[in-house]
Amino acid sequence: MSSVRVQGLTKRFGNHAAVFEVSFDVPTGGTIALLGPSGCGKTTILRCLAGLETPDFGVIDIDGEPVFDHAKGIDLAPERRGLGIVFQSYAVWPHMTVAENVAFPLKVRGMGAAERKDRAARMLELVGLKGFEDRSATLVSGGQQQRIALARALVHEPRLVLFDEALSNLDTRLRQQMRMELRMLQERLGFTAVYVTHDQAEAFGLADTVILMNNGAIEITGPSREVFLHPRSAFAARFFGMNVLEGRLLESQSDPRYLEAELSPRLIVRGVAAPEQDLQPNGRVLACIRKDAVHVFRPERPEDATGTIVAASFLGAEEEYLVEVAGVRIQTIGAAVGLQKGDAVCVTMAADEWVFVR
Amino acid sequence: MSGQGEWAQKRLPAAGVAVGVILIAGPFLATVVRSLLVWRDDSPHLSLGNFANLFGDARFVSAATNTLVAGVCTTFFSLILGFSLAFLVCRTDMPGRRWLETANLVPFFLSPYVGAISWIYLLAPHGGLLPALVRTHLGISLEWLNIYSVPGVIFVLTLFYTPYVYLFVTPPLREMDASFEDAARVHGASFWYTTRHITLPLVMPAMLSAGLIVFVTSAGLFDVPLALAAPRGIRFMPTEIFAMVQYPSDLGKAAAFGMVVLTVTVMLTLWQRKFLAGRRFDTITGKGYRPRTIKLRLPTKIAALTLEAIYVGGGVVLPLFVLLLVSFSKLWTGRFLWRTATTGNYEYILTKYDLTRTAIANSLFLAVTGATIGVGLAVLQGYYLTRGNPKRRALMETLLSLPLGIPGIILGLGFLIMALHTPLYSTLTIILIAYIARFQPFATRNVTAMFMAINPELEQSARASGATWKQTMRHIVLPLLKPSLIASWLMLFVIFIRELGATILLYAQGTETISVAMVVLSERSSGYVAALAVVQLILLLVAFIAFQITRTPISQRST
Ligand SMILES: Nc1ncnc2c1ncn2[C@@H]1O[C@H](COP(=O)(O)OP(=O)(O)OP(=O)(O)O)[C@@H](O)[C@H]1O
Ligand SMILES: [Mg+2]
Repeated sequence: MSSVRVQGLTKRFGNHAAVFEVSFDVPTGGTIALLGPSGCGKTTILRCLAGLETPDFGVIDIDGEPVFDHAKGIDLAPERRGLGIVFQSYAVWPHMTVAENVAFPLKVRGMGAAERKDRAARMLELVGLKGFEDRSATLVSGGQQQRIALARALVHEPRLVLFDEALSNLDTRLRQQMRMELRMLQERLGFTAVYVTHDQAEAFGLADTVILMNNGAIEITGPSREVFLHPRSAFAARFFGMNVLEGRLLESQSDPRYLEAELSPRLIVRGVAAPEQDLQPNGRVLACIRKDAVHVFRPERPEDATGTIVAASFLGAEEEYLVEVAGVRIQTIGAAVGLQKGDAVCVTMAADEWVFVR
Repeated sequence: MSGQGEWAQKRLPAAGVAVGVILIAGPFLATVVRSLLVWRDDSPHLSLGNFANLFGDARFVSAATNTLVAGVCTTFFSLILGFSLAFLVCRTDMPGRRWLETANLVPFFLSPYVGAISWIYLLAPHGGLLPALVRTHLGISLEWLNIYSVPGVIFVLTLFYTPYVYLFVTPPLREMDASFEDAARVHGASFWYTTRHITLPLVMPAMLSAGLIVFVTSAGLFDVPLALAAPRGIRFMPTEIFAMVQYPSDLGKAAAFGMVVLTVTVMLTLWQRKFLAGRRFDTITGKGYRPRTIKLRLPTKIAALTLEAIYVGGGVVLPLFVLLLVSFSKLWTGRFLWRTATTGNYEYILTKYDLTRTAIANSLFLAVTGATIGVGLAVLQGYYLTRGNPKRRALMETLLSLPLGIPGIILGLGFLIMALHTPLYSTLTIILIAYIARFQPFATRNVTAMFMAINPELEQSARASGATWKQTMRHIVLPLLKPSLIASWLMLFVIFIRELGATILLYAQGTETISVAMVVLSERSSGYVAALAVVQLILLLVAFIAFQITRTPISQRST
């Protein structure tokens, strides 16, 4: 049984389709992340789910009940969809105390004051804010506001919880910590979750399934690991920060397990085709490889060198290089070994790491 | 050369602030001292006699009561009306809201005195346009609707003070991060529940600020009680102070009354700065959606438009309409007759009558000179308040903003006491000084806000590229301030053209202004008054149109 079913969802602003014919399912208790660059329509989908935006076409079912159906003229008001939501700005109401914020969903549902207080206190304890009940909501830090917003979204045990860039305003360390906590909380309470984010680490860390969006439409859907390891399009490869190099697919292959592509007259690489690609021999191909799958090191003998460092930038634990191999420039990232611009290096790229897409 | 620049940078803004402080301290001290002096045997003695005299006077009690009641009621109704109108314009799809957004602001630019006399023409028990029309066409008597009353004063004040609230709550309503409301909706609150428990509390700080300003300024306004209460002997604070200065005058008692009012307004203003400043919510977060517009259903749409029709009709259309009728009538009797329509009133006041011609010239002179000096001072003060000595800034800001709450007639009284027995007495100059003292802080507040929005690095880069302070001001700061300078100038112009409260105690023969001339003529001919009011209105509307053209409308700013 799926908790969320979206079919043919389309939303236009003026002439511009912010979301175009998007369909996906989330199973009950499942987690899904809508991932993509800025302006690709992630937030719009989320707002359509919440009832804050009225789609132009499509159907949205939540727990088997249609909350929006263009053809049947169904459009439930947000408050009748029984959801929880966390916004990027947290939207913690500044004129209420922490406990009042958290108890709000219970209050509007007519729960008595005593029980409300009890449930809000338990929820606050769960998100690590025990003892903050009577503080003014303006007097807590950003990270704490985020927890308040989270407690508020969960306190009424909604069937579906929506997160719009919920962690984006936190600093890196807090973000990592919250990501783990959120994941654990979700597993413990078992709510269905839809996350919207532009940060791949967040998407992979939080969700079982990732939907990569491109300009209002779905680019790829799949389990997190698969989507990342086997990008099925140049867009996905670029989005995940891979090298995407243009080349020509060769006809003859020396090894039947691999395809071969010529990136420059002197650089031929071996790799595998991404699923569902229609690759033509002798045709144009895009060869993709993750930056960390390209290794550079100092050769033992100078004449063994195959490439030259064009640029180096030190990032702390890691170092990023732009290396030129046989006239092709490739980005690599790896342990900081202190190579300098102009250094002659050996470059190795495993055949299994190259993915060919059209 | 650079030494000279340094000097200008340090001294000029400080001098601007000093002028502002003197302009407020002078009349304040004069009022304090005068209220404590009693003449015995032709020599002044220090005494509390004036206060005893005042508090023992039944007229003081009735004036204070009426003023308080009218102030509180006006505030209450203006808050409700201002919030409703702002909500309709900002948050709903009410038809014509683009146009109404501006129409709701028009009363802000009109003269309350003219508004009050228009409502006399409209609603006076005898000779009012509306009662006559209703009687002939509907057969209902409206005689019981007496505009000469405390409710009448409240009614007209509400029409004129609603835009203050409207101006205060429009920005938070429009720019509030929509997720505050969206979160409430998703978590189960209906639209009305959200409006009551989320939206309203979030704009409450703006409402309280607006409410306080409306209370202080409406209670101190001389114009409306003069037109609507004084003729029936109903006492209000400003008219009572005016009466105390008239022959046989009792300046000591008037000063004592002034002290009471000053104490209350200064305390309220300080309380507001202290209390409300800490309660302002940050409702505009960087990344956020703008609130959605609500689709009104037909009955709500009709109700919304009716409210707008009542407000714009009562505040703008009907008064303008009746003024035109009266100004073209030979003799106003509550009905307009084409047969006797005449342009004689205009001819008379514009070409024949010295009083009105002088008054128009004086008003124009005061408005243009005053606005120019006021804006000049505002630039210096704004510079000081945002870039000057950080230790003194807060104190100076408080001091310089004090006149905003002080009734014009009280400041006028202070300047009258100061100027008495000096050559300044009964000159245009003293009126000009009083105008600047009372109203220039509006410009300072505008300009200061603009200064705050200008990143100091823009100036620093100019200085780093070799420009002197004066060159930086001229080529960088002033061009950036320009929109705010124009708006401030027009605002001061409007205020000065219609000013009455501060003028009424300071004018003399030959230094009348348009508003004073209307008061003087009001006992002679309604036709002259109406024609003069129309002339004043034209000046105000020109300024209003210029204001609308030069500012970016709120609706365009929000996209
Ligand atoms: N209320 C609106 N009116 C007009 N256009 C809108 C509105 N809301 C969104 N859009 C447009 O729709 C497109 C998708 O917006 P959306 O906010 O869904 O993007 P997003 O993927 O969430 O981006 P981001 O990562 O920047 O939040 C954008 O081009 C945006 O400009
Ligand atoms: Mg977004």
